[in-house]
Amino acid sequence: MPGQQTAGRVDDTNLIRAAQQGNHRAFEELIRQYDQAVLRLALHLTGSPDDAQDIYQEAFLKAYKSVGNFRFECSFYTWIYRIVTNLCLDHLRKRQVRKEESAVVSDSEGDEFSLLDTVSDDRAAHNPERDLMRKELGRKIGKALTRLTERERMVFELKHYQGLKLRTIGEMLNTTEETAKNTLFRATQKLRTSLAEMR
Amino acid sequence: MNCEWVKDNAFLYAYDELPDDQRFEFEQHVNRCPNCAEEVKALKGLREVMSAAPMLEPSPSFLAESRMKLQEQLEIAQQERGWKRWFFDPFAMLSSMKFSPALAAAILIFGFVGGAGVAYKMASNRAGGHPDGGHVIFTPAPSTEASIAGIRDIQKDPNTNKVSIKYDTLQPQTAEGDLNDAKIQQLLLYAARNNTNTGVRLNAVSLSGEQANDAKVRDALKASLRYDTNPGVRMKALEALTPYIKDDATVRDVVLEVLLHDNNGGVRSLALQTLQPVSADSAVRMELQYLADKDKDQAIKRQAQAMLATLPEID
Repeated sequence: MPGQQTAGRVDDTNLIRAAQQGNHRAFEELIRQYDQAVLRLALHLTGSPDDAQDIYQEAFLKAYKSVGNFRFECSFYTWIYRIVTNLCLDHLRKRQVRKEESAVVSDSEGDEFSLLDTVSDDRAAHNPERDLMRKELGRKIGKALTRLTERERMVFELKHYQGLKLRTIGEMLNTTEETAKNTLFRATQKLRTSLAEMR
Repeated sequence: MNCEWVKDNAFLYAYDELPDDQRFEFEQHVNRCPNCAEEVKALKGLREVMSAAPMLEPSPSFLAESRMKLQEQLEIAQQERGWKRWFFDPFAMLSSMKFSPALAAAILIFGFVGGAGVAYKMASNRAGGHPDGGHVIFTPAPSTEASIAGIRDIQKDPNTNKVSIKYDTLQPQTAEGDLNDAKIQQLLLYAARNNTNTGVRLNAVSLSGEQANDAKVRDALKASLRYDTNPGVRMKALEALTPYIKDDATVRDVVLEVLLHDNNGGVRSLALQTLQPVSADSAVRMELQYLADKDKDQAIKRQAQAMLATLPEID
């Protein structure tokens, strides 16, 4: 999970300083530690490989252009995610997620599939009724998520799907832990209500 | 700790966000209070339900494609940054201007792309083209020993001596396709900008020149003319752009820059020749006059003077 510290995580400080002095290789090595997680976040949030790629590119280009302004006041991970989450919020504000098909996304070949279809489940393969139920549930989940505001969606995404701590989420969204908590509270309440209505 | 507080913070408990001291009291209360226990159960249930929609994991080929596109954009950003410095201090910058050698990223990306089972072999249209008339042929790459391109992560099991190491491997691939094919062109443009092997860049620029009617290809040729470290490659790019000197003002501008600032006499001389068809243009004429009067390279000076002599007088 991206929020956990791993024993093998490279010390970013030297890489950051080198990148700030114009060392392109250092910058590339720096972002390589995070780029897969960033792409994963963008893909799950947007449901579109094209949009996810756009956010991914824009985020790291912004990071490249402004790495000189990084002052080590937070971790590089938080700093990068701050850029990414802002771009994701912009995306959510601009686009209306399709309510009926919010559980349907396009893969990198452009074919649509339900989120639940990506889950390997031997039991479902032998139980069409259960498979159908899971697809229906996926549809409901997608629809419920569309009822959240952009910030609620973002906080929920970062907490539930990315596993980050609320304190970290607050830093990434340039707000307080308390605000992130309140946002998560509202998000969970709305989701409970939405899913209950859909039963 | 009362029911109101418990219900207001049950979501924090469900998401493991309660501090340890509060967590103990919370659990004590829930064990005694059926209503609050029901609330906690509902929120844990919500968490389970929402987890039924799994995380989409980017496929290796999608990640590789994203990295390749990002690499291109970073190269452009790096070159633009260098160009801005070049504009203000061209002579100092020319000596240090060079391509960012993106070899590690390029081969890593190619390895990822190859991991999807795709292989390419370069072929020229002049060799007869492809029987399919433009489709890329995918042929299995010969099996080669993969070498390590980078270490991603190292984890040790705290209870045993077992170590888990995640690493990327490099696998050479080849591509074969028609020169008009978009994928082939993309590879060519990438090779022209991102390869440390001069011969490869030369071939890439030469082949790209056959498609210079495409604006994107022309942009790549202009970049090669401005920034490639090898004068032979710059001259090849210049040759490819020559047919567009009259109709494309941006080509003319780049050639003028090169004429003023390139550190290689051969490139500058070729640039002068390239400008012959547009030597009557006022901007070109001004530059010719400057070179004829003040250039330190005597050969360039004489060449500029000769070109000016052929131009009609201005009234």
